[in-house]
Amino acid sequence: MQLDDLAIDNCLKCSLCNTVCPVLAADPRYPGPKRLGPELERLRREGISTDTEWVEYCLGCHRCDIVCPHQVNASEMIARAKAAHRKPLVRGLRDWWFARPGLLGKLTTILPALSNFALAMKPARVLMSKLMQIAPQRLFPKYTRPDLRSPEMTGVSISKSARQRIVFFPGCFIRYNRPELGRMVIDLLERNGFSVEVASSECCGVPALANGNTAAARSVARANVKALARQIDSGLHIVTACSSCGHMLKTRFAGILDEDKKFDGAAKKVASNTFDLAELLMAQADAGELNTSFQRTILRLAYHAPCHQRSQGIGRPWYHLLRMIPGVTVEDMDSGCCGMSGTYGFKQEKYPISMEIGKELFASINAAQPQMVATECATCQMQIEHGTNFKAIHPAEILLRAYDGTAPDANRNSCPVDECGCTPCNQKPEGVDH
Amino acid sequence: MKSDRYDVVVVGAGLGGLTAAGAAAHRNMKVALVATGPGSFVNGPGWLKTKDISRASAAPDLSEAISFFCEMARRAGCPFAGDISTAKYLPTLLGDFQSVTLAPLLLWNAEPRDGVSTAIIGIQGLSSFDENFMAERLSVLTRAMGCSGTYAARQISFSRDMGAPVTTLRIAQLFDRDPDFRIELAYALRAAASGFQRIFVPGMLGLDSAAEQIAEFKRELRCAVCEIRTLPLSIPGLRVFHRLESYLQKIGVELFRGFPVEEVVIRDDLCTGVRIEAPGHAINLRCESIVLATGRHSPSSLNGTHAGRDQQMRPLNSVGAVMARNLFVAFSLPNSGVGSHGDAMRILTGYRAGNLAASTKGNHAA
Repeated sequence: MQLDDLAIDNCLKCSLCNTVCPVLAADPRYPGPKRLGPELERLRREGISTDTEWVEYCLGCHRCDIVCPHQVNASEMIARAKAAHRKPLVRGLRDWWFARPGLLGKLTTILPALSNFALAMKPARVLMSKLMQIAPQRLFPKYTRPDLRSPEMTGVSISKSARQRIVFFPGCFIRYNRPELGRMVIDLLERNGFSVEVASSECCGVPALANGNTAAARSVARANVKALARQIDSGLHIVTACSSCGHMLKTRFAGILDEDKKFDGAAKKVASNTFDLAELLMAQADAGELNTSFQRTILRLAYHAPCHQRSQGIGRPWYHLLRMIPGVTVEDMDSGCCGMSGTYGFKQEKYPISMEIGKELFASINAAQPQMVATECATCQMQIEHGTNFKAIHPAEILLRAYDGTAPDANRNSCPVDECGCTPCNQKPEGVDH
Repeated sequence: MKSDRYDVVVVGAGLGGLTAAGAAAHRNMKVALVATGPGSFVNGPGWLKTKDISRASAAPDLSEAISFFCEMARRAGCPFAGDISTAKYLPTLLGDFQSVTLAPLLLWNAEPRDGVSTAIIGIQGLSSFDENFMAERLSVLTRAMGCSGTYAARQISFSRDMGAPVTTLRIAQLFDRDPDFRIELAYALRAAASGFQRIFVPGMLGLDSAAEQIAEFKRELRCAVCEIRTLPLSIPGLRVFHRLESYLQKIGVELFRGFPVEEVVIRDDLCTGVRIEAPGHAINLRCESIVLATGRHSPSSLNGTHAGRDQQMRPLNSVGAVMARNLFVAFSLPNSGVGSHGDAMRILTGYRAGNLAASTKGNHAA
């Protein structure tokens, strides 16, 4: 992939992009990346209106960019068309919220118990479906008051033998939904000799871009770049545990700051100093410096590589790290996109396509019959738990627990709401319709 | 930051690169395969032309290389038929015949046969395949060859919404994803095939379908079926690539797809690794040896300074010295003045380079 306006001339119309597009495989009416990307882009650049609702249906998985032998950035062309596309009022309003998971997180976590209760109630979900066109089949993840680490503790080196200081970029999901996962990531890094600070970050901007809201994405990107560049100047590397945050930071916020003289340089600095958690640990392993004091853990895992992990070009570091734990077996599902793509799967009109895309992955997981699924993307986890009867967790949790010899609980208790009264889905599948 | 470490890094995922990666992995090397896209063979039928085989036939190790490739393809679930001493005429989309030595099993049994009646079955709405044209041309050519085989055109249609226009990609994706569609297709073809001993269909029987899936489909069909490669997208060519690529990943080859190689790092006369232009920061893949299987693109990776290669497939610099002891170039170098050597040469040189790269391990400290 390359961020280059001339890339359009590299398109030879070989259609390889169409062969890997998950949306095209799920719905034949979708025009596909070749048509929506380079073909229509030529007309759009001439000022000819080619607006089509289909641009909204692009997942932003970047599979088309990766397969292209000539580095045409088809998905970025579609993203720009998506930003220019006007949506009907209700969907526009819904997507305004979906573009701002940080704001949503801040509001819902004022009274998390109430929010979780309200979001899980069937009447509320029916209402959200009617008024907001949010798929009633989906449950929102449970919100928790942010307590990743008290501010006083950031910046303090915990480990005396720390070789390197790290700033951990948690992203919205860890901050507002799974702070305990954030603490595990910090623990994992500290046990490997890093001293960890937590970024006082905004949302990375992926949801804003995915919902066609470039202005919102640019505003969080600027705030992030400003804060992170300062920390890089003081010698820190950035680490992400969410593949979409990592993708965004590494691609200079998808190039949206490129023409912004004030931020472009800093965005490049952020990009070149950002590492995926597993990428960092794998580099430690290659240098013989990974803490490998794993206890024997008998666990049979299925691994799913999220699209935004693949788009970072770093191989499959989690797959290899998990296999270092004695007793753990890992099977790479290699079954394409899960179909969730962040907020995409929550949208009522996109829900059927989202589930159709996930079918192949669900079938692979069902055939593998693992004890649980490991995948580093939070929304991939939601989709896997929604489409199969298996629990899906972040591999960092498995790695961390292996130091203490405690395997994670394979029982699926994925109902994200304690108060809703349902029992875990694997025991009572006919309960709440997740 | 430290970097990943491999025994062998192969650059390029054409037939040469895939074979090199397979050969090195077969010798228990830790292999990384780096590629921006598949090789151009995915646009073809995925078979080996007799012309290509004869170009490489002077090589004493051709037979060994081809056997290795066929064994790899068999394990990958896309078995090839034929061997390097035979050839037969297989039909093309233009109603012509091409002399072929090895082909994927689904394309292999399409030669003209005495007394055999063949239905060429098109799909309604599919523009990249003209069954009438093919049937007419093949009939004329077959008669001229003195063969008593006959060809007739037939067409089927689907009851479901196939999207517009109908493409072989759409049919192949449905074939992969939907067992009901496979049955629907088998029934429709069976009806159109009634009274014929053999059918030819456009290349469409799955992008990923493994040999078992195809065998099951054939049982449902109850008659011999052969695929004809359509204009690109060529489903049969892509299928070979997909099967080989996922097989390599299964046997432990790490794939780095989508990002070009920024530099082949050479220090003195040793290659220490390659740098990939990944988003954010370059990825350094350190390794003991490297295979460049990027065909015409190889010179730009080597700054265009090389002039040919030695007996060990190592590129030479402008004064004729080996550029790096552990760097091997599969396929021809553009400076050698020869154009394309064809797919057999790609497999042969990929096989050699993969083995040479594997055997350098431990001979030096990288």
